[in-house]
Amino acid sequence: MRRLLLILKNDVRRHLKSPLAIIIYIIIPLAMTGLIGIIFGPGENENTLPPIQVVLVDHDKSLASRLFLGAFDADQMKKMFQVTVADEAEGRKRMEKGKASAMVVIPERFTLDLLDIKPVTLEVIKNPAEQFLPDVVEEFMNTMAVILSGAVQAFEPEARGIRTMLDLPVDAFPWERLGPEFGKAQKKVVAAMKYLNPLLLSLKEEKTKAAGAKAALSRTDIFSVILPGMAIMFLLFIVQTVMRDMISERQDGKLRRMLTTPLRTWELIGARILGGWLMGIVVLLVMVAFGTLVFHVHWGPFGWFLLLGAVGAFWTAAFFALMNALVRNRNQAGALGAPIILAFSLFGGSMMNPEGMPKAFRTVGIITPNRWFIDGAALIRDGRFPTVSLLVLTISGVILLAFAVPALRRRSTV
Amino acid sequence: MLEIKNLTKSYGDILALDHFSLDLKKGEVLGLLGPNGAGKTTLISILAGTVRDFTGSVSFLGRDLFADRSLKNRMGIVPQDMAFYEELNAMDNLLFWGGLYDVPRAELKSRAGEILEMVELSGRIKEPVKNFSGGMKRRLNTAIGLLHRPDLLLLDEPTVGIDVQAKVSILDLIRKVGVAGTGVIFTTHQLAEVENACSRIAIMDHGRILAQGTLEELIRLVGEKDIVEITGDFAAAAFSETLQDLAGNGLELLSVADGLAALAVSDTEQIPKVMDRLFRRKLAVTDLKIKSPSLEAVFLKLTGRSLRD
Repeated sequence: MRRLLLILKNDVRRHLKSPLAIIIYIIIPLAMTGLIGIIFGPGENENTLPPIQVVLVDHDKSLASRLFLGAFDADQMKKMFQVTVADEAEGRKRMEKGKASAMVVIPERFTLDLLDIKPVTLEVIKNPAEQFLPDVVEEFMNTMAVILSGAVQAFEPEARGIRTMLDLPVDAFPWERLGPEFGKAQKKVVAAMKYLNPLLLSLKEEKTKAAGAKAALSRTDIFSVILPGMAIMFLLFIVQTVMRDMISERQDGKLRRMLTTPLRTWELIGARILGGWLMGIVVLLVMVAFGTLVFHVHWGPFGWFLLLGAVGAFWTAAFFALMNALVRNRNQAGALGAPIILAFSLFGGSMMNPEGMPKAFRTVGIITPNRWFIDGAALIRDGRFPTVSLLVLTISGVILLAFAVPALRRRSTV
Repeated sequence: MLEIKNLTKSYGDILALDHFSLDLKKGEVLGLLGPNGAGKTTLISILAGTVRDFTGSVSFLGRDLFADRSLKNRMGIVPQDMAFYEELNAMDNLLFWGGLYDVPRAELKSRAGEILEMVELSGRIKEPVKNFSGGMKRRLNTAIGLLHRPDLLLLDEPTVGIDVQAKVSILDLIRKVGVAGTGVIFTTHQLAEVENACSRIAIMDHGRILAQGTLEELIRLVGEKDIVEITGDFAAAAFSETLQDLAGNGLELLSVADGLAALAVSDTEQIPKVMDRLFRRKLAVTDLKIKSPSLEAVFLKLTGRSLRD
């Protein structure tokens, strides 16, 4: 055991003397996580759209057109739309310059035609350079048209009454009739109030958190999803690099020299596997620390994640111990290692969201450590213990080790 | 101290060691000479415990070398490879390799300091080994084998690829180690090295010892004959056939290969006769060297081939 620890200490000292490879393998996943999160994640003002620029051309300048303007001025609508009232020429100029998503034209006699219960057309001119925002304006105008049509039809008698008054000159305007007409309308509104207030249906906003639910992800959530996948991918790279020393030592005679000392083969193999495992855990802890401090990643219960990381690093060390026992030299190990890690990462979900992968990919992914590590990390993030992931990684790791140890013993003698 | 009996090892059809036997006394420095493929490295590897599947026995300090693991602490190995960590400094390397032996921890550092002094590396203790010259690396390689003060030191071609100064330094170290009572076996291609450093020389080929003894004892094997080395453009068969009737009559064909032959002659007056025969047969000769009786002559006589073969 003393010699095993001596080899471990020596390996740590050597890697600290030339830590570049390990530093690079720590920085790359963090940088990739940051980039992917920034590019594909939501912005800092989560769940908000930029205000939609709308030009309103009001040829009517009367009661109903003012209602439209008022609708745009309501609290919620203010956040969504930024309305500029302009004449038609100026409005078109703004559209051509791409300064507005849509232009709404309210025709002349809009109010009068509505009160006459005549069909009337609102014109919505959309900016073809934009994909979604003009459609939002169109939908909003459709909704407003439906509401206004319904209102006019419900208050048809009152509307007609008011309409007849509007044709009279100002000095002949029957002010005394205006009160009763509004009074009738008010009675209808009061009668309707018991049906409308309180509203029978209401909406309550809530975000789901259950696994698999299509909840909108915040930027922090995106980092939390990406980083475990990146972490296991680069854990594989780091452990491979560390454990490739076994092959170098076989090639350059250090292994033979070690075996001329009282060192036992099991101590040597144990030191190498333990070294790869410990290095994996240390690197994972560094990534967790960076992820927490820089990206505010939510890992879930830390102890559980540490356990998952330890089991993942164990699997990785056992896998590369076996691979290094089977390959002939360092070049072969390098040529085989990188494609295997990339394949694990592709099928296992480190490179893309498993839910978005073809079914065949997901099926193949079952044999990769990435898949079980990522699944486990997701469960821990949701506060659930990753029993299946831990079992799969531990059992398959032990099986790999059972093949690796005798193969390494054979490789250690000439 | 060391008794090797009937050691036999094959790699497939190739017999690397053929009933090899050898004794070594305490403080004796044995130079093992042999051409490539003679079995020198296989012998060292078996003694070091890195090659298995052989027959025969090796007794070291009165015990079976392969049954008693503790004997590894009494043996030092200096492999042909520069087997140490280049990214570490000399002291860290010594502490690591020395730590693999049962050297008391408290003593390890002081011993490392002493051995670095001995191999003249004490001024560069903290420098990464990758910055060392070839000679310095060879000295460190040797120092690692000596750190735990072994009773037997095995060196596999310890002077390959280094300059004269470094070579002299290592040979001097080997002599000192022998004088201090450590038994030494070292393999080499260099005749001058064994002539200078060894108390005993063994010449081996095809996995067996062909002759052994002190330098004087070995030279006596070829008598007082001069060695004639002939280089030219000829076939070995034609050369042998041409000089066949002169052989045994004060002339001995030591080795004949295409373009290179070695003869032992009791009288230099035989050389013109040899040349005359070769010219008549139109065998082109480009160079001719006459050498006094030496270890090289012994080697040629015993192995039938030059060390560079």
